[in-house]
Amino acid sequence: METVDRDEIAARRHRAVKTAWVLGAIAALIFVLFILSGVMKS
Amino acid sequence: MSIEHTQGHEHESHAAHDEDHDHKPTGFMNRWLFTTNHKDIGTLYLVFALLMFFIGGAMAMVIRAELFMPGLQLVEPDFFNQMTTMHALIMVFGAVMPAWVGFANWMIPLMIGAPDMALPRMNNWSFWILPFAFAMLLSTLLMDSGGPAAGWTLYPPLSLQGGQSFAFVVFAVHMMGISSIMGSINVIATILNMRAPGMTLLKMPLFVWTWLITAFLLIAVMPVLAGAVTMLLTDHFFGTSFFNAAGGGDPVMFQHIFWFFGHPEVYIMILPAFGVVSEIIPTFARKPLFGYTAMVYATASIAFLSFIVWAHHMFTVGMPLTGELYFMYATMLIAVPTGVKVFNWVSTMWQGSMTFETPMLFAIGFVVLFTIGGLSGLMLAITAADLQYHDTYFVVAHFHYVLVPGSVFALMAGAYYWLPKWTGHMYSEKWGKIHFWLSAISVNILFFPQHYLGLAGMPRRIPDYSTQFADFNMISSIGGFIFGASQLVFVGVIVHCVYKSRQAATGRVWEGAKGLEWTLPSPPPYHSFNTPPVIDSTTVAHAGEAH
Repeated sequence: METVDRDEIAARRHRAVKTAWVLGAIAALIFVLFILSGVMKS
Repeated sequence: MSIEHTQGHEHESHAAHDEDHDHKPTGFMNRWLFTTNHKDIGTLYLVFALLMFFIGGAMAMVIRAELFMPGLQLVEPDFFNQMTTMHALIMVFGAVMPAWVGFANWMIPLMIGAPDMALPRMNNWSFWILPFAFAMLLSTLLMDSGGPAAGWTLYPPLSLQGGQSFAFVVFAVHMMGISSIMGSINVIATILNMRAPGMTLLKMPLFVWTWLITAFLLIAVMPVLAGAVTMLLTDHFFGTSFFNAAGGGDPVMFQHIFWFFGHPEVYIMILPAFGVVSEIIPTFARKPLFGYTAMVYATASIAFLSFIVWAHHMFTVGMPLTGELYFMYATMLIAVPTGVKVFNWVSTMWQGSMTFETPMLFAIGFVVLFTIGGLSGLMLAITAADLQYHDTYFVVAHFHYVLVPGSVFALMAGAYYWLPKWTGHMYSEKWGKIHFWLSAISVNILFFPQHYLGLAGMPRRIPDYSTQFADFNMISSIGGFIFGASQLVFVGVIVHCVYKSRQAATGRVWEGAKGLEWTLPSPPPYHSFNTPPVIDSTTVAHAGEAH
């Protein structure tokens, strides 16, 4: 059984939170761009 | 018989390692409302999805009862329209999608050797948004202006002619979207960051792969739907004219935006089904999955193609010939990676040592009946033919073949496959098989005649019809009632398995099962894989497959 030390666990959690922020920002950006494209067209 | 009664202890060391960590929170509120445990949240999603399946199913029964005979029998036409709209919204967003998220929550951490989802508190939030979203959506049925009645596609100008309750619908869709996006973020963050050492991407089980790709699809398209319904909201209540032709807007633009979301949405519901079937068939054929790597690439190809074919839903709005040709050929291209998948499932079964327990029956039912839905999709892709089929019952038959004996059968297959793992008890194989055969026969009685109705010209979304369509409608309704009733057997099997079954499940449950989830006891401890497992050939499902 392989062990993962506490630093590695902390680093993974940090990476997971960073991944979540990046993906959330992409989702928000798509939403805003679609609305904006509609506003620009009209 | 592949149930393994004596084995399953070879990896009990994992369980032993997790000893004394089974600290379930006490009290109903702590256990379920505030839970951050992936297994509990998975259970919540699955129970919620089953409840929505029956609410949406009850609406389908109203629809089929009204269509049992020509003429207006039971409900007013406007209420009939509300039923078709709500049935679709609830089945898509309330039943199928949350059910897959429930499977993801339960199985992804167990399959990749992670202790939990990467963002457990957000996971809790993702789920608990849903009951409020659907309470809000369903409440519109009790309002003066009634529920949404323009179809799940919410096309303007019809959808803008609804009453004040439309704001509730839009807000409910926003909440569902936020829930889906947060769930997807969690799935991606978990898969990319929480895999056990040695669990490389190409060692992941197919179900994990299909969910990773599905999660990216969701993040890409749910904001598009949110943007579209926000613009509908402002058109309805704030005097804008995004889609209002009288104010210079373009209603057809809504259709483009909606289907840019809507077509990938179809694959969001079916890709995890591909994953589940790719887990089950090798187990009961007792062979590694044929062409694992090809399956991964085929899944990714289908996901990519889903973004570039949206206008095949709207050939009749009028578009340049080059546009029609492009969308026709691009749509047909999807048959290639899908064909790879069907070929690989059949090849996995070929010369396998097959047994036919309930999960395998549902998986084989999926392969056969989903293929029928796929082939009628190819017919609809032909622009010239689609001009005839469009908005007829042929389309209804097509997408129900893809979604019911497709996605829903895969959900049933997965539920039977992992139920012993989740509960620690075996379900009744006899009643499982009765459930399968009742469902498989009745679903064809329900949907196959609808092909003929469509080809004969019966339009969708009508409460009354010409007498020439009477016979096939009656047959279809009888099939619908039997299919609806047979799902009560499913509930009976689950309740019996959870509360009454005396047959304990072993860790591995199925003789041919491979993968990390089977190295844990059944049910798995409340906190599992606190120490990462070792990844070797006994824990990789497709061991032996060169890639």
